[in-house]
Amino acid sequence: MKWERVRIPLMLGPTMAIITILFFGSLGFGFLQSLGYQPQIGNTGFSLDAYYAVMFSERSASQFWPGLALTLWVASASTFISAALAVGLSLLLRRTFFGKKLAVFLFQLNLPIPHLVIAVGMLLLFAQSGLVARFAGELGIIDAPRDFPVLTRDPYGLGIILAYIWKEVAFFGIIVMAVLQSLGEDYEAVAQSLGANRWQRFRTVTLPLIMPGLMSASIIVFAFTFGTYEVPRILGVQHPKMLPVLALEYFLNPDLNARAEGMALSIIIAVIVFALVFLYMYVSARTVRKS
Amino acid sequence: MTHLAIRGLTKRFSGQTEAAVADLNLEIESGSLVALLGPSGCGKTTTMKMVAGLLEPTAGDILFDEKSIINIAPERRGAVMVFQNYLLFPYMTIAQNVGYGLKIRKVDRAIIDQRVSEILEMVRLPGIESRRPSELSGGQQQRVALARALVVEPRLLLLDEPLSNLDAHLRFELRDLIRDIQQKMGITTVFVTHDQEEAVVLADKVALILDGRLRQYADADVFYKRPADEATARFFGGQNFISGTSANGTFEAALGSLKLPSDAPEGTGILTFRPENVRIGAAADGENTLQAKLTDKIFLGTQTRLKLAVGDDIITAIANPNDVEGYLVDQEVPLSLPPATLWVLTK
Ligand SMILES: Nc1ncnc2c1ncn2[C@@H]1O[C@H](COP(=O)(O)OP(=O)(O)OP(=O)(O)O)[C@@H](O)[C@H]1O
Ligand SMILES: [Mg+2]
Repeated sequence: MKWERVRIPLMLGPTMAIITILFFGSLGFGFLQSLGYQPQIGNTGFSLDAYYAVMFSERSASQFWPGLALTLWVASASTFISAALAVGLSLLLRRTFFGKKLAVFLFQLNLPIPHLVIAVGMLLLFAQSGLVARFAGELGIIDAPRDFPVLTRDPYGLGIILAYIWKEVAFFGIIVMAVLQSLGEDYEAVAQSLGANRWQRFRTVTLPLIMPGLMSASIIVFAFTFGTYEVPRILGVQHPKMLPVLALEYFLNPDLNARAEGMALSIIIAVIVFALVFLYMYVSARTVRKS
Repeated sequence: MTHLAIRGLTKRFSGQTEAAVADLNLEIESGSLVALLGPSGCGKTTTMKMVAGLLEPTAGDILFDEKSIINIAPERRGAVMVFQNYLLFPYMTIAQNVGYGLKIRKVDRAIIDQRVSEILEMVRLPGIESRRPSELSGGQQQRVALARALVVEPRLLLLDEPLSNLDAHLRFELRDLIRDIQQKMGITTVFVTHDQEEAVVLADKVALILDGRLRQYADADVFYKRPADEATARFFGGQNFISGTSANGTFEAALGSLKLPSDAPEGTGILTFRPENVRIGAAADGENTLQAKLTDKIFLGTQTRLKLAVGDDIITAIANPNDVEGYLVDQEVPLSLPPATLWVLTK
């Protein structure tokens, strides 16, 4: 009995230790750096100067706040649109039709493709000098490639959002399809025989049933799109820049003092993501309980 | 109250050679409770889903009160299905589950609340409105599922093995409850089961399906007295099948000649009689009495099963343990087969 109780913690111990050291170690180290603790260059004191500089200094504020707005917009739009698209597509793919296997395969094809490749692909396809624009020009749909809408390197992050959707739809899709598969169709059959039409069944049965899976996936995608730099680095504009790109630039700055600011910005990103995720879980748990 | 007619109903799933349901014909009287009985995989659920509209038939027609409903959307048919695994919506309270069909119909909130508590009372679960499905036992969940179906006052109630996941004790209790409510509300009900006892106890009429085909559709006692064929008789526990010829009210077989009931079919066929109708000991007037040798005797608790050899034929009998206590294996035993309990399967 006693042995049983300690057995599982003991077995989990090594893994947990590594995760804890890596996670809290790097977070702690980063946090220390963000407080200006950099013994290599002789800084051994602690201060919030870097945070202040990132958010409010004349040099950085004009970068930070528009960047924050863009990041919030891109992360929420990518998450929401790809989740909605994936739900729709998964429901379509659940039906039986000719070529279903192929459709499912195509749907999930880009899952193993790195984000970087997707971003470059976006450029090749949708830039004003890209394939789509040239085709449209050749076909006379637009007069010149310049008339093609600015879908990459645009100030609203449309290209970035498009690239994220392209990629995350498949991720959401895998999760939603797995949930749908395990639920079967009998819940919906019950609702239907009780009189629910297609839309009512979706709203009152299918959606609530896939919601937990969808929510976990949304958190992952939101946190990811909020904090990674490859796609916005390639598809973004000079101003505003998404926060992770900004953090990277501080980081790559040869001036070692900028490193504290890069770390401060990274910590800010982490804090915002945590706060939003908790808020989201809190609100959705409450709405689920209420309805 | 709805009269249900199933005409030539057939379902063949794509990629399968055998039809899951083949040319099924069934008339179900308005307000009656019919059991759809058959072994696993015989097409019971498939039939129910077609009636509810959840599956499209390959051929055939379904009529409610003589009107074809084959082109009516499932959600407007008013045929509510209750499944074996309850399928309560886990994210809703019991009240929300039960009131679901009314809410869909945009019924007034106050009326929903009232109907929900009435119907919960009817399934003997009063006051559990605010609980969650996960907090209920299987039997309670199935009663809630039943309440959820009843609350919309369906034209047709389709119960697909609703008691199969419950233990014996609960099964009996719920069986009676279902019978009770069905009688009270008079909803035309089809009860799917693979348990012949359940079918017999519960239903006004029983439809036996074997291999996707309707074998017999009759009152429960007919399956014991006048089974349609050997497979039907076997499904209901028949064990005695003896080949011979029926003519002029007697059956001629290797074991002798036996007097038949007056309505027995004529021609070559199989004589059948139920084990519990075999009398140990000679009949008073010597009618249909045979000399047998006891070859096996198994005590089953409330009954004793005997194997008796008459020439090359083996007859199985079930008797009261007290009545056969004195008999030993290998002993000569007379037995009699009352003519009224015999039946002949021709074709
Ligand atoms: N969606 C489907 N696709 C293909 N075949 C199916 C499908 N559903 C059922 N079948 C087949 O049809 C036959 C009848 O199935 P059905 O579920 O109606 O049987 P059942 O009588 O309800 O059995 P049980 O008592 O096990 O529930 C089975 O052979 C089954 O394999
Ligand atoms: Mg079934």
